[in-house]
Amino acid sequence: MPPADGRPGRGLPARVERWLFAPGDPRRLAAVRIGLCGLLAARLASGPYPELATQPPALFRPISFLRLLDRMPSPEAVAALQALALGAAVLATVGLLTRFTLPVAWLAALPLVAMTSSLGKVVHNDVLLLLCLLPLLPSRAGAVWSLDARLRPVARPGPAFGWPVRTAMVVVAGAYFFSGLAKLLHAGPAWVASDNLRWVLYAASDAQPEPNPFALFVADRPLLAQLVAAATLAVELGFPLVLWRPRLAWVLVPAVVAMHAGIGLAMHLDYSAMAATVLVVFVDWPALADRLRGPGPEPAGRSGPVPAEERR
Amino acid sequence: MEQHLSPGAPEPAPRWARWFVGVYLALFVVCGVAGLEAWPLTGWRLFADARQARQPGFEAVTVDRAGRETPIPFPDLPAGYRGNVQILKGFARLPAGRQAAVCQAWAEVVRDRGGEVAEVRIYQTVTDVSQRSGDRGAPPARSLRFTCRPGSAGAAG
Repeated sequence: MPPADGRPGRGLPARVERWLFAPGDPRRLAAVRIGLCGLLAARLASGPYPELATQPPALFRPISFLRLLDRMPSPEAVAALQALALGAAVLATVGLLTRFTLPVAWLAALPLVAMTSSLGKVVHNDVLLLLCLLPLLPSRAGAVWSLDARLRPVARPGPAFGWPVRTAMVVVAGAYFFSGLAKLLHAGPAWVASDNLRWVLYAASDAQPEPNPFALFVADRPLLAQLVAAATLAVELGFPLVLWRPRLAWVLVPAVVAMHAGIGLAMHLDYSAMAATVLVVFVDWPALADRLRGPGPEPAGRSGPVPAEERR
Repeated sequence: MEQHLSPGAPEPAPRWARWFVGVYLALFVVCGVAGLEAWPLTGWRLFADARQARQPGFEAVTVDRAGRETPIPFPDLPAGYRGNVQILKGFARLPAGRQAAVCQAWAEVVRDRGGEVAEVRIYQTVTDVSQRSGDRGAPPARSLRFTCRPGSAGAAG
């Protein structure tokens, strides 16, 4: 548990704590709010929740708190939850009553997303999105770039705006690291050194209506398959380095996006929400906006220094 | 990465934020390291096992009155039916009544789509994906494990 008084300490835990709770740019937090809430709204609008609600009870394999039920929530309950979650997510995206609409969107989305993981297998695609949104719930995510901000004084960089974004960054980095760790713990070096990936890709291609040329291209070449497996493991285990050396985001973020795109092409598995979450959290959108805008007057909310670790 | 607060710097983050982040990240790390599933916290097991060329599996088919078998088209069915792999993997451990209810659900959705279903059969399969026939794998070896007939209380193994 971190010391509660905020006094600087020594050693790695103290350095991590100082990094987590250093001042941040309110625009960076706002950009993450807009990106993640917009993504949540898109997922809620297109999710298979009405179809899942009509599932026969015998096929229900509940996860987590849905074990309290003996079948999927009723279509009426799902429709109401979906409307509530979607409406709140849209309002949180534009920043209207953000401190209320953001938690409502998250809480109403939770059972809907749990439904997609109640078919017997955890669906990680939307889990990363939910976990990255969690630190934003009690934060001042609507302080700038929001409708709420029209009624308030301009927010300046400060400690209130740093920790939600950095916590989300730790969660993304941890998700990839633990994915790699699970491969090492359950399969060991064989995950790379054996023909594991070839057999995964052959099985994926055979399960599709037509042979998949991308899967077969890799699976037919044993050395290439091992190189792809090694690169996957290296990217996953190495992703936390981006927290220590932010410039590595130029390599690691495109690498995980490419990894998800490759999985989509070869295996027809949709990890687009996970890839989009990584982009929203790790791209420094205010810096990008400044660069696109070119030299000019300082924008509102950016009169103070930007922590060095946020620059790329 | 290290930050030094200068005199006149803003107040540090509030105590509640430190506790909130500390507890949240601690739970996140514990689940990740131990592989615990406490959804939405998760152990992040994505493709974690090393696959072998010979891959065990199951296949569910419907049988019409003439004895013709048709694989149940799970990918084309509504989302609620797409947990077939996990259901089939655990089918043998289900109580007889639940086995019958599962078969009944599959039979009904096939009938709703115009299929004729006299019974549902579940085969255990072993597919050797290293045996290729052009761009396709060789057909799996199958052995019948369960047969569900209408009105029966369970599946005959």
